[in-house]
This record gives sequence, C-alpha cells and structure tokens, in this order.
Amino acid sequence: VSADEAAGELRRLVPDVETLAQRLAAVDYLVDEGLATSMFLSLRLPQPLLLEGEAGVGKTEAAKSLALVLDTPLVRLQCYDGIDAAEALYEWNYPRQLLAIRLAESSGQSLGEEELFGPEYLIRRPLLRALEHPGPRPAVLLVDEIDRADDDFEAFLLELLAEASVTIPELGTIRATHPPVIVLTSNRTRDLHDAVKRRCLYQWIPYPTPEREVEIVRRRVKGVSETLAVQVANAVSRMRDSDVQKPPGIAEAIDWVAALDLLGVEALDAQTVDRTLGSVLKYEEDQEVIRAAGLDQLVRSE
Amino acid sequence: MSRFGVETIYLDLPPFVGAFSRRLHDAGLPITPARSADFARALTLVEPITRRRLYWTARGVLVSDHSQVKTFDSVFFEVFGRQVDDEPFDPEDETADRRPQTADGASRSAEGVGESYADRGLRTTDQHDGDDSPETEVPLLLASDEELLGSKSFDALEPQELARLYRLMSSLELATPVRRTRRQVKSRHGSRIDMRRTLRGSLRSGGDPVHLRHRKRRVARRRLVMLCDISGSMEPYARAYLQFLTSAAGSGPNAEAFVFATRLTRLTRALSSRNPERAIQRAAQAAPDWSSGTRIGDALKAFNDRHGRRGMARGAVVVILSDGWERGEPKLVAREMERLSRLAHRIIWVNPRVAADTFAPKAGGMAAALEYCDALVSGHSFAALQEVAEAIKGDRPVACGLWPVASDAEPADNWASATPVPGSSVAMPSGHGPARGNTTPGWVTDE
Repeated sequence: VSADEAAGELRRLVPDVETLAQRLAAVDYLVDEGLATSMFLSLRLPQPLLLEGEAGVGKTEAAKSLALVLDTPLVRLQCYDGIDAAEALYEWNYPRQLLAIRLAESSGQSLGEEELFGPEYLIRRPLLRALEHPGPRPAVLLVDEIDRADDDFEAFLLELLAEASVTIPELGTIRATHPPVIVLTSNRTRDLHDAVKRRCLYQWIPYPTPEREVEIVRRRVKGVSETLAVQVANAVSRMRDSDVQKPPGIAEAIDWVAALDLLGVEALDAQTVDRTLGSVLKYEEDQEVIRAAGLDQLVRSE
Repeated sequence: MSRFGVETIYLDLPPFVGAFSRRLHDAGLPITPARSADFARALTLVEPITRRRLYWTARGVLVSDHSQVKTFDSVFFEVFGRQVDDEPFDPEDETADRRPQTADGASRSAEGVGESYADRGLRTTDQHDGDDSPETEVPLLLASDEELLGSKSFDALEPQELARLYRLMSSLELATPVRRTRRQVKSRHGSRIDMRRTLRGSLRSGGDPVHLRHRKRRVARRRLVMLCDISGSMEPYARAYLQFLTSAAGSGPNAEAFVFATRLTRLTRALSSRNPERAIQRAAQAAPDWSSGTRIGDALKAFNDRHGRRGMARGAVVVILSDGWERGEPKLVAREMERLSRLAHRIIWVNPRVAADTFAPKAGGMAAALEYCDALVSGHSFAALQEVAEAIKGDRPVACGLWPVASDAEPADNWASATPVPGSSVAMPSGHGPARGNTTPGWVTDE
C-alpha cells in the first residue's frame, strides 16, 4: 500500500472533526471540542500530540481510543527514569549472535560483522515496532509520561518525532512507511525541552464537567443507574473543589462507581460513602479532610 | 477581522495567519515560522466554520504549554471578540496556576515591578559595569570583594556593593548529592556485563568472550529546588537571594527556582538566561507580589500540589529561604512541611535571622517548620551562603560539623558532640525519616 493510499484511507476514516468525535464516542471515549480538534489535526497534519493534565483525566485513554478508532495496534512505551535506546528502540539478541558465531566457526565459515548485526538478530522494542508497522493505517504510538525519562532520552526522541525515522548505527536509518500517530503524555514533573514541544501539537485536558462525567461513568460501568452516576459525579466534583492533596480523576470516579455497583448500592448516602471512600481517595489525610467536612455534604443534592 | 466567515479564511489565509502569528509573537508566545505554516495547513484541514473551531485549531497548533493559554486567550479574544453564543465559551478555567499573562497584565506588572526593583538597586550593576575595571582585573577584584563583603550582612549592603556581590555569588558552586540512576555507562570495573561490547570483542576470538566488558549504573546529581520568600520582611535579603537563585538555576538542568510572598511563582524559566542581569530583571517582572505579606503555608501547599506531588520534589534537595514570619496559620505550615519532608531528600531552611544574637525559632511559621528541616542555616552574608552551599552538598560532614548529615554518609555520633554556635548555623532537633537518618545534636537557642 503506498503512502498516498494510506493517507486516503485516513481521510476516509476521519474526514472532519465531528466524525472523529463520533467515532471516539462509539468506543466510549468522550471528547470536548478542543481535544477532538487536536486529535484530528494530529492524525491529518500529521504531527505528534502532547497531552498534559491532572492524573486520571484520560490522557492515556486518548491514545488507546485513537487506536481503537483506527483499528490499528497501540504501541505503548512507558517512560521511566533511566530508559534508554536499548529499552525503547532495539537491542541485539546476544545469545543468538553467540550461537551464530559458534556455528560459523564449527562449519569453518567466517562471519562478518555486517551479518552478525543484521535484522535477524535485532530485538524490536516499542519504538521500532511502531515504525515498522506495515499499515495500511498507521499504528498509534503512545509515549507515556515522557517527563519521567531524562533529557538524553528526549533528545533521542527528537528524530523520531520530526522525521518518523530512527538511526541504528549498525543498520543505518530506518524510515517508517506508515509513520505512526504519536501521542505523548506528561505529568509536568519537569519542563520538557522546547525542541520537543516545538514538534508537537499541545493539548491540556481539564477535568470534565459533572454532566460529562456522568456520561463517561455510565459508558464505562454498564448498567449503573443514572441516579448513582449523578451522585458520584457531584461528590467527586466537590472533592476536587475541596482541600485534598490528590483530587480524584475520572479513573477514580469510574472505580468508585464500579465498587458501589458491585456492592449493590443504588443511591449514595453518608454511610456508603464511608465504606467505599478508599476507592476514590487514596491518602489518609484526604479522607480525613473529607470526613471532617461531613460526608453528608458530599452527597447532598445541590 | 471582527466578523469571521469561511470565505474570509480562503481569501485571506496567508495574511491572516501571518498577522495573527505576529500578534501572538509580540505578546510573548514562542511562535516560529514553522508553526505558522502548520497553522495555515491546519486551517485548510478543519475549515473552521465557527469561532470556537478556529479557537481550538489555533490553540492546538500555536500553544505549546499550559502557561501560555492565558496570553493566547487574550490575543485571540482581542482579535475576534468574546463569544456570546449559545454555548459558554470558557475553554479553560484552570487552577490559576500561572502568573497573569494577559498582554496588558504582564506589561503592567512589568512596569510596576521594574520601577520598584530599580529603586532597590537591582539594576545598578548596569551602571556599575560601565565604569568598572576591565575583564582582566576580575580575579584581583574577586579577592578584595570577598574580603570586603564576605561577612557583611545582606541587609547592610549598599547598592554598589550588591552589584559586586552578584559577581561573587557566581563563584559559588552549588552541587547536590548524587543518586544512582537506572541508566548505565561504560566502566572498567562495573558490576554488569556490557553484552554489546563483549560480543564485538568475541568476534575476534571465535565466539569466546575472552575479555568481558563492563558497565555500571550512572550517578546523577539530585534535583535542587529553591523556594525564596520575597515578602516585606525579607526585602533586604531578597535582592541578594534572587541572585543566589540565579546561580542555582544556572547550575544545571536539574535546578528549579520559585519565589513566594502571597503566592507562588515559578522562576526557573525566567532565570535560565545566560545573562544574570537579564535573568533577574525577568524574574522581578514575573513575580507580582514583591514586598507584600507572607503566606508560607499557602505557598508550600501550592508548591506541593502543583509541583512537588507530581515529582519535582521527589528525592530532591529543597532549600527554603525565609524568615518564617508567617501571616497565615502555622498549622498549615507544619502540615505542608510534613508533606514536603516525605517527598524530599533533604530540606534546608535558610533564615537570615538565625544570625541575630537574639534569635529563637519562635516565629509561628519557623517554629512549626523546624521539626521537618534537616538543617537550618543563616545565609545572611556571602560567607554564610557558602555554608548553604555546603549544606546543599551534604554528602560529607562539613568543616564545622554543625548540621546533620544523613546517617549512611556518617555515623551520628561523629558530629553529635559538635557544639552548635548561636549565630551561624543551628542543628536540628529532629532529622529522622528514611532519607534523613537519625541525627539529633540538640537544639540551641540563645538564652
């Protein structure tokens, strides 16, 4: 499949922002206009998309949903302190190489370095897998929590972000036939390098409105009553406005509803909140703050 | 361009993109020609029918950080007017994280602060540099400056002395202790085998890895986070400390600087200029609350919530420069210090009033914070700042042995016998915690 055909395929799948938003909704990922526009542009320009926002607002989900919409594999690279090319891009298969050397020696052949460092001895790590994805639609590459990696790794990513290609010293430059859709997420523990930001579209994902949160929760936890979803969304929104260290994200709201649903709770009251507070607030201090303010306050209807 | 329609876009695309990008650039956003080009392409893709769509398209492409949103909004609304449509056009009511960056807000605070800090003598270096001796004489000057200014308290400095102090400060070396990272580097005697290099070597010996090559885990300096109080009571010191922050921010990519009085302002970016004079000017413009009251607890909370918890303070050396005169609730200071102490590797409190003979840690905020500090030093003069640098280093016992060192570096009794001297630096009554070790030399007041 040629690059042109691939672009045509993408154009057919997401002709405009509204269609993309609908397709995302069809896989239970609800977007507002800002995020939808950014995701659309990221697909069609194409340009990597940098997502920031509080923990649990659905940054990672955005990439997963995009992969579902495109019906392509999601290649996820979780960054951490000290991650380097060997863990992100490729590594050589040393045991196989050693065996090959022995084999060549016992059969009296000579084995050159070019053969030993050829594609068959390459272990493909996430970045390389995303670049080598055969199409017809691009893979979605999620570089998760890029701020956890160090500066060196950011610099290493630049070539990938700008050119959709990487250079392996022994093999030369590998260029993607179908450049992956790249989504980066960051928790802002440190400033990313300007060079990285320059190559990306940027979107800040805020907490959803309570109405939107009700919708999201009901899509994620099937069969939950609207009353309960509304109560939880309101309670969670009040928690976010209060003096807690770690405001609950959408993920926590979903967990909470799932827990309540499992317990057969149909309407939230102070007692059920008390029993299940641990699934939404994960700090002892935060639970104290909320309890001190009164659990009744949390569940009152306006 | 007040009315916006599809036709206009098609007709006027290049001039529109050019003009709009230029306005954003003038307002301070880092817009490059490449970005403008992306913006033009994006517009042809989304064919914005509504102002909202145009807004999100422009923002997605042209904004590269959350702190730029306010500036962007003000320019956008200026050009296109505020929307009064059916749906509320409130793209972001963010947690008021950043300083007000609206175009006129920024220039207003810039003027105000610029003036006031010119009064304080921060700009005098410019004038001073003019009639200063040429570059070659600097070493000579350094020596005499250090003699003259070394022990002079910052609050007694004349403006021209302050200018010289700036140069002195850049000679301070600020190095945090190291930690081992997961990244590996070549090493002759490392504990792990470097397979790639070993294998290359074994090609020459028929597949037998005769020479093993090694790697070891790389060490990296811990992050340095500086929080400087710039409230009224700290004013005589703040101008000197700001320079200290500049040295710190310039000490490597792993340093962060904040100032606070009634609110917290991140200065890392403003200070990361190669020209320290400009860095300080920019910093003064960025922080609008010079010389107002102090709310240490709120500032610490803001730091913990927005930065510390996300990971900035984790394993870092945190330096707080403040006299601890808290206007708010000391309880909040204690609570936030406790949170911070759980994240940070070491907390060093620099309080210029420690140098005074009558000092006792009784100021509400200071007393509350004390339990969670690993070291309290005065830092009231250049000589005292060198102690701060030593405290930051912290990986070996310091010459005078006055503050606690983590127990893994040195057994506690090594310095427990040291007699704290009132007036220079004071050791902590506590200092427990996994990152701190057990170190309790006794606490000295000046009775």
